[in-house]
Amino acid sequence: MRATITTAEPILELKFGQVGIANLRLNVDDAETLRAEIAQKVAAAPHLFGRAPVILDLSRLPRLPDAARTRILLQAIRDAGMLPVGLSYSTTENEALARELELPLLAKFRAVYERQGGDESVADNPPVPANRRPRSVSKVVDETPTPPTISPAMSGQRHGSAVRSGQQVYARGRDLIVNAMVGNGAEVIADGSIHIYGRLSGRALAGAQGDASARIYCMDFQAELISIAGRYRVFEDLPIELRGKPIQAWLDGEKLHVEALFS
Amino acid sequence: MTENIVVTSGKGGVGKTTTSASLAVGLAKRGKKVAVIDFDVGLRNLDLIMGCERRVVYDFVNVIHNECTLKQALIKDKRHENLYVLAASQTRDKDALTQDGVQRVLEELAADDFDYVVCDSPAGIEKGAFLAMYFADRAIVVVNPEVSSVRDSDRILGLLASKTRRAENGGGKVQEHLLLTRYNPARVASGDMLSIADVEEILGIKVVGVIPESEGVLAASNSGVPVILDETSTAGQAYDDAVARLLGDERALRFTDVQKKGFFQRVFGS
Repeated sequence: MRATITTAEPILELKFGQVGIANLRLNVDDAETLRAEIAQKVAAAPHLFGRAPVILDLSRLPRLPDAARTRILLQAIRDAGMLPVGLSYSTTENEALARELELPLLAKFRAVYERQGGDESVADNPPVPANRRPRSVSKVVDETPTPPTISPAMSGQRHGSAVRSGQQVYARGRDLIVNAMVGNGAEVIADGSIHIYGRLSGRALAGAQGDASARIYCMDFQAELISIAGRYRVFEDLPIELRGKPIQAWLDGEKLHVEALFS
Repeated sequence: MTENIVVTSGKGGVGKTTTSASLAVGLAKRGKKVAVIDFDVGLRNLDLIMGCERRVVYDFVNVIHNECTLKQALIKDKRHENLYVLAASQTRDKDALTQDGVQRVLEELAADDFDYVVCDSPAGIEKGAFLAMYFADRAIVVVNPEVSSVRDSDRILGLLASKTRRAENGGGKVQEHLLLTRYNPARVASGDMLSIADVEEILGIKVVGVIPESEGVLAASNSGVPVILDETSTAGQAYDDAVARLLGDERALRFTDVQKKGFFQRVFGS
C-alpha cells in the first residue's frame, strides 16, 4: 500500500482458512533414529522442511506412547528442525494424550485422509523395529484440501435463523435447508439442493460445484437471482404467477425452469 | 478525457448516494457518457436509488477479482442509454477492494471513452472512502448545515489535499466543490441550523449548490428514481442547478430563503 490509513485495529481477529500442512507419520518411536532421519530430510530440502509445521500421526506405532515418551519424541523432531503443532487421528487414548500435552487434535484432518487412502497401506507397511529398518522410519505425507464429494448419505446443512442482507450461507458438499427467510442482498449457496421454508428475496445458488440435478425449493418466491450449476436467471420483474408462491426450480439441459409447486 | 468525480463527506447519512445518483443522471441528461460506481462494499445502496437493484448479477468486487469482465458488471440505466451503474458487493467487506483493482477499472472506463466516472464513497475515512477518493480529479464534498457534518467535511478536505494520487504525484490539486444538502431556510432563520455563509466561512470554500430539505428526496429514493428526475421537487431542481454549475454554467442559488406564507397557509398550515 502506498498510502496508509489510520484505523482502530481490533484486539484480535479470528479467521478461518485452508492451509496445506504435512502429516508426519511415525513408524518407530525411537527418538534418536527419528532425529537423525528428520535432520537428514531437513538438510536435503531446507526450504521445504526447515521449520515446517507438522502434525504428528502416532497411529502406526505398535502402541501409543505415553505423555513423557511423546514429549521426548516431540523434542527430537524440534531438535531436527521441524515444528510439531498437533496430533492427528482421534481415538480416546489419543485425545487424552493430546490433552495432557496441551496440543490440538486434528481429528477431521485424519478422517479425510483415512477415507481417501484407505487402510490397505497399513498392511503394506507394517511397523518394523527401528534397527531392522533404518531408512524411511518416518513418512511425510502432503495433505492438500480434497475437493468436496457429494455424498447422498450426508444429511443437509440446516440454517435456523434469517439470512440477512450481506450474509452468505454455504453448504459444502450437501443440501442446504433454511428454516427462515432469506433477505434482499443475502446469498444462500449449496453444492446440493436448497430448501427454503420461508421467503426468498435474495439469491439462491444450488449445485455450486456443477451438480445439474440440484433443485431449489422455496415457500415464498421473491428472488433476485437463482442459479443451478452455473445457469442463472435474474428476476428484474417477478412473473405474477410466481411472485409470493411456493416454487421449485430445476435445470433441463441449458434451461432453468421455475414453476409454482401447487398450481 | 475521462474525469473522475468522488462524492464524499466523512459523515454518514448526509446524502452522498442521493447526490451521486442525481449527479450521474444530470450529467447523462446532458449527453455525457457516465458511469457511477458504488464504493460502499457491504452496505450497497446506489443500486436501490438508481432503481436497478434487481438487475445486479456481477458487481465491482467481481470485476476487481477478475471474476467477470467490466462489461458484464456495468448495468445500463433504463432511462439514459449513456449511463451505467457499477454496483457494490453486499456480501463482502471493504478489504475486498484493492488499489490496483480500482485503478484498473478506472483505466478501463477511460479507455472506453467515458466522460465522467462518479465514485460514490462510503462514510468514514477507511479503505473504501480512501480508494473512492484516491484517483479523483474532482471532489464533491456533501455537507449538512450542522457542526458535526461540517467538521467531518473539514477532515475530508484535508485528506483530499494529501491522500490522493494528484496530491502524491503532483498532478495539480483535486478540484473541490462543496454541496450543502438538507438545507432548511426556516430553521436557519430561527438559528437552529448553520447558514450557507457559516458553512462557507468555516470550510473556506464556496458552495456549488444548495439542496433544500425536501419530501421529494425520500419519495424518490423509495421509488428508485433519482430525485433530479422529479422536476416538481425543489431538491430535483436544485440538483439540476448544481450539475449545470459543475459544468461551468452560471446559475443563481434558489430555494435558500424562507418563503413567506400566505394567509391561507398560515391558517391551514402548509
